[in-house]
Amino acid sequence: MKGWTLTFTLAVVFGLCVGPFYWLAMAATHSTADIFSWPPKFYPGDQLAANTAQLEESIGLVRVLGNTLYVAVVQTAGAIVVSLLAGYAFAKFSFEGRDLFFVLLLSTLVIPGGVTIIPIFEMMNDLGLIDSYPALILPSLSVPFGIFLMRQSLLAIPDELLDAARVDGAGELRVLWRVVVPVMRPVLAALAVFLFLGAWNDFLWPLIALRTPEMYTLPVALATLQGLARTDFGQVMVGTAISSLPMMILFLVLQRQFISGLLAGATKG
Amino acid sequence: MTFTLSRPRERARTRQSYVTRRNIPYLLIMPALLGFLVFKAYPIIAAMYISLTTGAGAARSFVGLDNYVRLVNDPLFWTSLWNTGLILVVQVPIMLLFALLLSLGLNSPLVRLRGLWRLGVFMPSLTGLVAYGVMFSVILRKDAGLLNWLLGLFGVTPIDWLGSPFWARISIVIALTWHYTGYNAVIYLAGLQSIPKELYEAAMVDGAGAARRFWSITVPQLRPILALTVVLSTIGTLQLFDEPFVLTGGGPDNSTLTISLYLYQNGFRYFDFGYAAAIAYALTLIVAVFGIAQMRLQKK
Amino acid sequence: MIDRRAALAVLLTGALTAACGTTEDPGQAGPVKITVWSWKPASDGLAAVAKDFEKANPNIKVTVQAVGNPAIWDKITIDMAAGGKGLGDVLHIGIDYLPGYMDKFPGGLADLRKLGADSHKDAFAKGLWPTVTGKDGGVYAMPWEVNPVGFFYRKDLFDKAGVEVEKITTWDEAIEAGKKLKEKTGAFLVGLNKSAAGSVDMDFYQSLLQQQGAFYFNGQGEVTLSSAPAVQAMTLLKKMNDAGIVADTSGEGTAKQLISGGKLAVLPWAAWAVSYIPDMRPEQKGLWRVMQPPAVTPGGKRTAIVNSTHLAVSGTSPHQKEAYTFVEYALTRPEVINKVFKEGGVFPALTAAYSDPRYTEPQPYYGDQPALKPFVDALTEGADATYYSGDYARALKIASDAQTKVLLKGADPAAALTEAATLLAQQTNRKLAG
Repeated sequence: MKGWTLTFTLAVVFGLCVGPFYWLAMAATHSTADIFSWPPKFYPGDQLAANTAQLEESIGLVRVLGNTLYVAVVQTAGAIVVSLLAGYAFAKFSFEGRDLFFVLLLSTLVIPGGVTIIPIFEMMNDLGLIDSYPALILPSLSVPFGIFLMRQSLLAIPDELLDAARVDGAGELRVLWRVVVPVMRPVLAALAVFLFLGAWNDFLWPLIALRTPEMYTLPVALATLQGLARTDFGQVMVGTAISSLPMMILFLVLQRQFISGLLAGATKG
Repeated sequence: MTFTLSRPRERARTRQSYVTRRNIPYLLIMPALLGFLVFKAYPIIAAMYISLTTGAGAARSFVGLDNYVRLVNDPLFWTSLWNTGLILVVQVPIMLLFALLLSLGLNSPLVRLRGLWRLGVFMPSLTGLVAYGVMFSVILRKDAGLLNWLLGLFGVTPIDWLGSPFWARISIVIALTWHYTGYNAVIYLAGLQSIPKELYEAAMVDGAGAARRFWSITVPQLRPILALTVVLSTIGTLQLFDEPFVLTGGGPDNSTLTISLYLYQNGFRYFDFGYAAAIAYALTLIVAVFGIAQMRLQKK
Repeated sequence: MIDRRAALAVLLTGALTAACGTTEDPGQAGPVKITVWSWKPASDGLAAVAKDFEKANPNIKVTVQAVGNPAIWDKITIDMAAGGKGLGDVLHIGIDYLPGYMDKFPGGLADLRKLGADSHKDAFAKGLWPTVTGKDGGVYAMPWEVNPVGFFYRKDLFDKAGVEVEKITTWDEAIEAGKKLKEKTGAFLVGLNKSAAGSVDMDFYQSLLQQQGAFYFNGQGEVTLSSAPAVQAMTLLKKMNDAGIVADTSGEGTAKQLISGGKLAVLPWAAWAVSYIPDMRPEQKGLWRVMQPPAVTPGGKRTAIVNSTHLAVSGTSPHQKEAYTFVEYALTRPEVINKVFKEGGVFPALTAAYSDPRYTEPQPYYGDQPALKPFVDALTEGADATYYSGDYARALKIASDAQTKVLLKGADPAAALTEAATLLAQQTNRKLAG
């Protein structure tokens, strides 16, 4: 009996969380004129194909999805490597200035995002990197949260495990790859979801840094659909719905690892 | 690319000259440190200089501390500070409490279909800004909004969610809670799963009720995680920008103007970059003070 | 290992040289490429004439990009703040941003006088040229789109209420008609986004100011937000609101939804709406009419230019001459600008364009009324120059806060505006007009 009450409560919460997505998905199947009509449309319409086709025509949906995926994957992979290396050093080595460096890296959490954008833009311009993917990826490789998460979870790995590998003559990178990475899978999965999410949805910086429509990522391309009173919401809805899909899939696939991975980082306060 | 291609001995020979036991950690943190110096430290120092100037481009001139003096005398800055503080005090405790209760439910073996509920409550935190904005502006409309429609089923008269200063703040709290509760619940869930079952079994043997077990086992065991989420949520809310930006534009009558939004308006709307940088420094200082204070308190 | 490091070095060098290679070599032969930043649907209009332009000017290639509005503002602003690097050569800029860019970023936009823009001084609707002229007398943009305010109304609803709209000449009369309308049909007279702080949401209040020849600033750059005309316009809004005939249109799609339900009888929208309303509600064909809005005072002016958009040339563009050639081509030839109008729905500022028959032809959607004519009449009559100033964005925000106070909290118009004017003066270091 109690189980059913709990299940019912969770189902209600689930409805509140997912309801807006359901509405979004339904909106994607209606024409712009019908999307905002009343009462709300909770049933599928017949405009999905038309909206998608228009979207492909106006922003090059397939290409833009490819761009976004490329940027998000490279950025996520790069940031994971950087975080892992730094986290390894902070957790498993004692060296001059360690605490200072750690605090410095973490302190960037308190800097509001908008402040750094103009200097970074000027820098990228001077380097001739504007309108290139390195301009998007490079600034996001050093992620304080990632370094923190890696260090915390690495603290939990016994030193003996590493020393055993070192005695066998393995270099540090090899120790990392062979010993550390396998036990860290869940944490890496959690970090991957977190980083991928950020990269996939990032809007302001790609908007500023990219120039040619062929290079656009999805959020930037969707913004081009907006024009004062005349936004084609049919297209916007399809694009928005599509943009939420990869995240859901990623979370579904990595769910188990993700949850236990978060744990590793969070428990060692 | 992997690190395993070359054989260990070969690697040792070629690297010996410059990779020593002593400098390995420095080499390991080098990429992170470089990223930090180039993309964080340099811009924030540049912003320090900008905060001491006025005008932009060729018209920029040095004005000393003028922007900071102006800040102290600016009623809108204080309004934004007050709004941010208010949302922080109301929203963070509510959200974290919800998240905790939710995680208990999601962890209960009595519940069916747990995997589905977990995915559902986590979905809101996967939303990008565009989707978020479109969904909530439709949800919160007064006359044809989904929320008023839902409440109407229970006989509640339509609420002017975005039109009244009071309800607009509540709307921000609702949107924030919708966005991040699931995220925190999943973090708590991870923590709950790590609490040894033996602790509960022992308490049951001692005859402790559910409430008692919650307070004497669950809460203390979750403490480090609770602490982490409090710090992260506090920092996030102090920098609150997305919700007021897409939902209310800071209105009505500045009742949802936050510090980050005011920063954005001054820089990107009024082209007052020096002043925006000064606001950014004030915000950084506030966040740092809060962060350090919370960590100190938790250490005790 | 060594091999891999070498490979990495090669890759890096390759990436860097490739990146450097993209900067243009000025000595290179071949057509000059210029990029235009705009937003939909205006960009479609411009793209349509770019083809013709390329035919006439084979040495120039034009790429029109729809960047999106409001995304375009963040993009232009950051580029300008970084010294203009990376900007498009031609920029489509709305009146809510143009004065700020001109005032706060000296050199950010090219002075088009040097390229001969002065010769088109009198070609555009009266009142626009001062807007594109800087404090130093430079010309920093060419008027493209002009939006005289209109009064689109549902004739069927007013008929039902027994009101002859055509006889209404002042807003006070309109309010009386609105009360009858609400009683008989349940429809609101107008809709206003009462809580939001966007620029479009202030068009209505601004048009009431402009009808009286007033604005937020005067010619000396002093703050006039609490002047008698400003208070009178706000009092009018309050009266309307208190009569319960103003719908709140905050929230995405609210206005659309009210319109489709026949709950809005009047849209005080500008000229762009002539083609927008039929697109949005094709099924309401024959129900809509349009006329000039009523005046604030009996016998007063019934026209106002609520906003305008312009094409500017980036001050750092290496191809200013070519960019200007395109701007001049697109904006100063009646047949070209009318094609832009047709494809992009942007009402032209070029007065010579209005002699085209399309401006007087009857439109079936509007019950065979020549729907564009009230706007052409308004522009032929001309409007006073509006003193936007570089602090227009701030003024807009503060004025909209005052409007919100009046509409939502029932504040006294004079008190709210006095407070707003004081704040504006303080934040912009300007004097309050005496």
